[in-house]
Amino acid sequence: MRALIFIVALTLASLAGGTPARAQEGHPLKGSWIGTWTGNKTHGNDVVLVLNWDGKAITGMINPGTDNIPIKAATLNPTGWVVHIEADGKDKGGAVVSYVIDGKIENLPLPNRTITGTWKSQKENGAFKIGRQ
Amino acid sequence: MRLGAPRVFAAALAGLLLAAVPLVAHHEILAKFDDKKPMTLNGVVTLVDWRNPHVHVFMNVKDAKNEVLNWAVELESPIDLAENGWSRDTLQPGDAVVVEGWAARNGSRQAWGNSVAVKATGRKVMTVVAKVPPPLLQTRPTPRWPDKQPRLGAPAPGSAQGYWAFPSATALVENGVTAPMDQWGLLKNIADAPKVAPLQPWAQALYLERQRRFLQDDPMFLNCKPPGGPRQFQQPYGVQFVEDRERKRIFVLIGSGNSNYRIIQTDGRTHAGQVGGDDDNPLYYGRSVAKWEGDSLVADTRGFNEDFWFTNGGLPHTDQLRLVEKFTRSDFDTLKYEVTIEDPGAYTRSWSANATLRWVAAEELPRHLCQENRP
Repeated sequence: MRALIFIVALTLASLAGGTPARAQEGHPLKGSWIGTWTGNKTHGNDVVLVLNWDGKAITGMINPGTDNIPIKAATLNPTGWVVHIEADGKDKGGAVVSYVIDGKIENLPLPNRTITGTWKSQKENGAFKIGRQ
Repeated sequence: MRLGAPRVFAAALAGLLLAAVPLVAHHEILAKFDDKKPMTLNGVVTLVDWRNPHVHVFMNVKDAKNEVLNWAVELESPIDLAENGWSRDTLQPGDAVVVEGWAARNGSRQAWGNSVAVKATGRKVMTVVAKVPPPLLQTRPTPRWPDKQPRLGAPAPGSAQGYWAFPSATALVENGVTAPMDQWGLLKNIADAPKVAPLQPWAQALYLERQRRFLQDDPMFLNCKPPGGPRQFQQPYGVQFVEDRERKRIFVLIGSGNSNYRIIQTDGRTHAGQVGGDDDNPLYYGRSVAKWEGDSLVADTRGFNEDFWFTNGGLPHTDQLRLVEKFTRSDFDTLKYEVTIEDPGAYTRSWSANATLRWVAAEELPRHLCQENRP
């Protein structure tokens, strides 16, 4: 059974890895991002961000779906392409978990650019890395 | 109207200056090759790949260790080479040649060929002289339909061909701003970047990044993405207007890129009526609705996607882009193009730019297919 799960997971991972990102020549943060916030025991290791730019503010959601975490504030400093995101989610007990993500856009000109940095909440912290899909 | 001596002199001078431009390529050559790294390749042709967007000559060259290495020499497009009298048979495998060119920026065995000489004869081949607009000997009246409305695409009586090319500006710059650039919008002085348009901070930083990288990330060059927006009027192979009065629409056929087209609707429809269909499917050329204001066609275009560069030079845009374009065929040979850019996602205010295009008489629109030589 473990072998089967491993094979299925490997297949899904390879399929996801082989999907080319859609071109995005507008605001560099706009789009869907998938990656990991390593060591997050509250919301799991994997993370999805959907970000938008309306001309004045960056808005969006972390893990859209039943477990979604709305982004409270987000900024992009074009000097160094530094990203800062704040979002408040809830743990299984209903307590507020305040996340702060700090990172930097890498491979800016590429459609599959990445954001690499750190995340932290009141109780946990770790490495953060997402890639644009 | 006869030309006076000063006008003849000015036309001749302009022609000489334009003829001196050595490169007419379909994209920024400096994106891939370094003009600060000249090189000479002395070897034997192994293959001529005669395909768009650029012809490649492959050749075997001995290095310093006497090892034979295969190099790819990039030349102009088949369209430009053919116009200058060259063909796929001009060079044959086995021909010994000397190539003077520029090395690839990425260190690969590729070079841009500034000149190719056949060793046996010394003859220079595959040379291309930039095409120049024919001198305007007289001002001819704007062609009109029987109801007196100007005809944007009409050829001269007795001719079935003609199109618009030779844009006076090949990249967007706000009216009144001086920012010298090359044909592909690469600034001569990068310090001019903030002047080019009223960019938001992120958009200005992105524009600078693209400029610093010599426009090498241009999706039209890398992935043959269409030249949507004003960029369709900045390309070397021109555009053709096909006026379909029966269906009240105008096709803009695009000679560069992948030879695709844009539709301008002139049936009185509004954008509101189209939102349901295209709002979730933003387009490279957007949705254009137009009406005639006097002798000018005024097109309002919205619904662009963000997958392309809307001008040479890499000014960014967002899906909030709206263009108001005014087309005026002021005389038979001149098309005025005035555009106002509104994009609150990327710019701090609306801004405008102008250009003119020249009529190319009695010639078919070139058919350039960027995709031909792409995986």
